Amino acid sequence: MVRLADIPEPERSVIAELNCPVYADTPPVTPGAAAERHVAIVSSAGFILRGERPMLANETGYRAIPASAPDGDVLCSHVSTNFDRSGFQQDLNVMLPRDRLRELEQQGEIGKAADTHYAFMGATSPEKMEDKAREVGRSMLALGVNTVVLAPV
Amino acid sequence: MSGLAHYFEDAGLATVVVALVREHVVSMRPPRALWVPFELGRPFGPPGEVGLQLRVLRTTLALLERPPGGPLVEDFVAQDFAPDDGWRFPAELDCGSVLAEAAAVMPAWQLARERLGKTTVGISGLGPETAVEFVARYLSPDPLPNPKGMAAVARVRFAIDDIKAFYLEAALAQGGHPSSQQLRDWFWSETLAGNMIREFQDRALASADANLNRIAGSLVPAERTFGYLRGN
Repeated sequence: MVRLADIPEPERSVIAELNCPVYADTPPVTPGAAAERHVAIVSSAGFILRGERPMLANETGYRAIPASAPDGDVLCSHVSTNFDRSGFQQDLNVMLPRDRLRELEQQGEIGKAADTHYAFMGATSPEKMEDKAREVGRSMLALGVNTVVLAPV
Repeated sequence: MSGLAHYFEDAGLATVVVALVREHVVSMRPPRALWVPFELGRPFGPPGEVGLQLRVLRTTLALLERPPGGPLVEDFVAQDFAPDDGWRFPAELDCGSVLAEAAAVMPAWQLARERLGKTTVGISGLGPETAVEFVARYLSPDPLPNPKGMAAVARVRFAIDDIKAFYLEAALAQGGHPSSQQLRDWFWSETLAGNMIREFQDRALASADANLNRIAGSLVPAERTFGYLRGN
């Protein structure tokens, strides 16, 4: 496995020294009981559905990815050379563990796996994505989602 | 992802962040985060490791059970996976041109597609062999016509990623568990396609076309570029 420390220069420094925005601490939401959790995944892989326009670098929008979309219809339009995609090519759950989430639902460990997951474009400034992130938040709440797993690439 | 967690929490959603770069999550202070020791691009670990994927997801969600407090960053512990020393590309690729090489890769890719039950090739909208030809001729006096629906420079950028997916999926035609490092070593050191993309990057960097310059930095991993290999 390649940790940040194992990544060759100059990529390692570029990634580690990325200028991250500063946020004040956000008071955390009090989570409900596990059985009441309705969980969605939000990824930064720039996922699109086959046939859609790929997301471009620094794009601030998002895509909704139905949990029922066939694996082969979920494509990754975040095409940076800084991360591996061979794992994703073999197994979507490496980036978007929607099958594992469904299994947790079936085993009663969560209340529900969301019917829709979401993808933003990684390496975009989060401040520029705020409006769309809040829009996705409202969409998730409207669908009954109360818990979000944020998955990077 | 850590930044988005703040917006979602503010909207009333409980969040847990899976983090691949610990420095970033510590700096951005989302309410709950699990740092995982996996390589970039694999936030839930290696492919096909169902038990490990479940363990990551369970550990991530378990952070919601912690008492409320300041930002929480926990570390996930996992063992390293050994490379598959027996893995070899399942076809002979001693070809005279990149187009001939792509044709030789095709049967393995078709086999892999059946075995995996899917393909991730298609982001450019071109078939794999057309993607190779599109890139090979892009900077020539006789480029392939760009189909409608996508700017040519975006098409060539995504065609390059489709070529990588085409070769790397084909590499798994007979199964095995090669590490990403093994696959990268093979693609960039032993294929004409890898060499074509490196040459394309060098020409794109030297081009007067600003759009080509813009994509040129994201085609080849830095340590595989001609410049890096030459020591400059």
